[in-house]
Amino acid sequence: MQNKEVIKIENLSKKYGDKEILHDVNGTVESGEVICIIGPSGAGKSTLLRCLNLLEKPTGGVVYFDGNDLMKTGEKDLSSVREKMGMVFQSFNLFPNMTVLDNLKLAPKRVKNVTDEEATATAKKLLERVGLGDKADAYPASLSGGQAQRVAIARALAMNPEVMLFDEPTSALDPEMVGEVLAVMQELANEGMTMVVVTHEMGFAKEVADTVWFMAEGTILEKNDPENLFQNPANERTKDFISKIIEAK
Amino acid sequence: MKNKAKAIISFILIAVSCFALFAVSGSTTNAHAADNSLTQVKKKGTLVVAISPDYPPYEFQVEKNGKNKIVGMDVDIVNKMAKDLGVKPVFKSMSFNSVLTAIETGKADMAIGGINPTDERRQSVDFSKIYYMGGQSFLINKKDAGAIKSVKDLQNQKIGAQTGSLQYDLAKKRIKGANVKGMDKTPDLVLALKTNKLKAVGVEKPVAEAYVKNDKTLKAIPSGYKMNTNEIGAAIAFKKGSSSLVAAANKSIDDIKKNNLTDGYLADAGKYMKVNTADTSMGHYWTYFASGIEYTLLISVIASFFGVLLGVILALLRFSKLGFLRAISMAYTEFVRGTPLMVQVMFVYFGIGVIVNIPALLSGIIAVSLNSGAYVAEIIRGGINSVNKGQTEAAESLGLARGDVMRFVVLPQAFKNIWPALGNEFISLIKESSIVSIIGVTDLIYQTNIVRANTYRGVMPIFVTMIIYFVVTFLLTRVLNYFERKMKHAE
Repeated sequence: MQNKEVIKIENLSKKYGDKEILHDVNGTVESGEVICIIGPSGAGKSTLLRCLNLLEKPTGGVVYFDGNDLMKTGEKDLSSVREKMGMVFQSFNLFPNMTVLDNLKLAPKRVKNVTDEEATATAKKLLERVGLGDKADAYPASLSGGQAQRVAIARALAMNPEVMLFDEPTSALDPEMVGEVLAVMQELANEGMTMVVVTHEMGFAKEVADTVWFMAEGTILEKNDPENLFQNPANERTKDFISKIIEAK
Repeated sequence: MKNKAKAIISFILIAVSCFALFAVSGSTTNAHAADNSLTQVKKKGTLVVAISPDYPPYEFQVEKNGKNKIVGMDVDIVNKMAKDLGVKPVFKSMSFNSVLTAIETGKADMAIGGINPTDERRQSVDFSKIYYMGGQSFLINKKDAGAIKSVKDLQNQKIGAQTGSLQYDLAKKRIKGANVKGMDKTPDLVLALKTNKLKAVGVEKPVAEAYVKNDKTLKAIPSGYKMNTNEIGAAIAFKKGSSSLVAAANKSIDDIKKNNLTDGYLADAGKYMKVNTADTSMGHYWTYFASGIEYTLLISVIASFFGVLLGVILALLRFSKLGFLRAISMAYTEFVRGTPLMVQVMFVYFGIGVIVNIPALLSGIIAVSLNSGAYVAEIIRGGINSVNKGQTEAAESLGLARGDVMRFVVLPQAFKNIWPALGNEFISLIKESSIVSIIGVTDLIYQTNIVRANTYRGVMPIFVTMIIYFVVTFLLTRVLNYFERKMKHAE
């Protein structure tokens, strides 16, 4: 696999007023790579992820996507960047006023001008893939959390993105539903999808991630492959965090 | 600081619009320097007359061959004058309070309606010669006849008179200790008299006589006012400076006086009044109510549509990235919500009418739409805010453009959330649209007042109208509920 840089982050910082959320963040995401971002709450993990598709506007530094400086991208071109970056949210954010099928079809039809037949075919295929082929005509309110999150993943995939961003995709789920969502994500990773995942699921991080970023106090303190990061953490904060998690288990 | 800046911007906007207004009204006062009033009437071939047809026998409505028609002594006088000029008379009906404004703002060439040419009025309009000496009377309840023998007995009593009328001023100035109540419509005053809220009602002599003829519980007594002819007589009003048109009117009036034509006119009016009072059942007058409903619904439906359209636009402007667009939307909403609908209706009809002549119905629809838009905008803004931010983020993360995010994701959810509030707005719009009757739009309230004037029945038409409004709003509520259920189901 060629190691093309999909995302590059340089000296990224984000402030809300005087409060610094992110500072000195650097990193690259290569094509086909699965990055898991872990760390204590308040570390800025979600903010970093949301800075990647500019749902949050960074106050300093640069984010490159496919070599383009996103900070200099105008409102109109931003849409065309975002369509290549699928995003899955903690709270699913399915559109409650549409059926599952229409949730999947909306963006391909409006953004990519795909025909209705084609959008329907793609959507149905994706729903089969996440195991929800029978829910096409259901409304989101009738789905369980696990089903809703799988639909949300399928909705993001319908745009055929280059990279998928996951913002704590299992945090809002009942424990028994976490597995079905992680399974879909693992399958995606196996197929070679480039993924950036903010997660508290250490098992998933260990198993699926190529690289784990440990974040605390607004910056990335340590980057390593999961084996090394979990077995031999270099940074004191990482050590502390991992030992606490092991204790908790 | 930001709020302060916003406040300043909206203040400036309001100040500018007020200034524009004054500039407009200022320019009109100079507009009649050269008098071409007669030439203009002849050129357009019509004589437009502002009239308030709820004042029998001067002017009132009758049904003739299934069509409503304004008749009465004044109408005969106008017809005679129009004939002398060789033009077609066109009657524009509105409340008495508005007829003088209508000529000042050029909505009509002249105003007629038993108008007494007092000195105060002469300051703002020109008058023809007096065409009829009516004199002043009081209507009282027959059962009070023993207690009220003359005007002296009315001291310190409650007396009613039409707002803006000479009778109102006279009662106030000439009757010691009188507590004068003003109302817009003579039928309302008579009703107040009959229900003992008033002791007497000051009206023109012929009007008093007409009431007494049609209602056996009433009695007329002479006013006993010592007055000059300007305060007894009725004359036609014109915009200041219309001397050529006034001269033409005077010629016709001379002719009328020479041949004693008013006697015949009054006799005619009496005949029409008999037609009206021959059958005063509400069923007999159903066509009045029907055409009233038609206009009320027409105004409501069109105004609701444009109100929502304007509301959506204003609400979206509030979410614009451009500060001045937000400020415009905010200033508009604040201003419209901060002024009464009645004033807005009159402003569109008379105020803007100075620049472009907008017919009454259209003025009414425009004013009600503009008014409703401000309220709908606030409802929709609340609705948009009620949609979870995650919805916008999810839609944006899929690459949808801002417009599409609003159209497909946010607005449908917002509308579902605000549906009950929006329904409320539609229902109050149906009821509030009744205010357009003051500029003579023949809506349900207007027709109700005509029926009351024609039949001399004060209460029954109000009751019928109340039932009609209730039925209409009740049916609308069912329809709204149906859609609400449908939207709930689709989830």
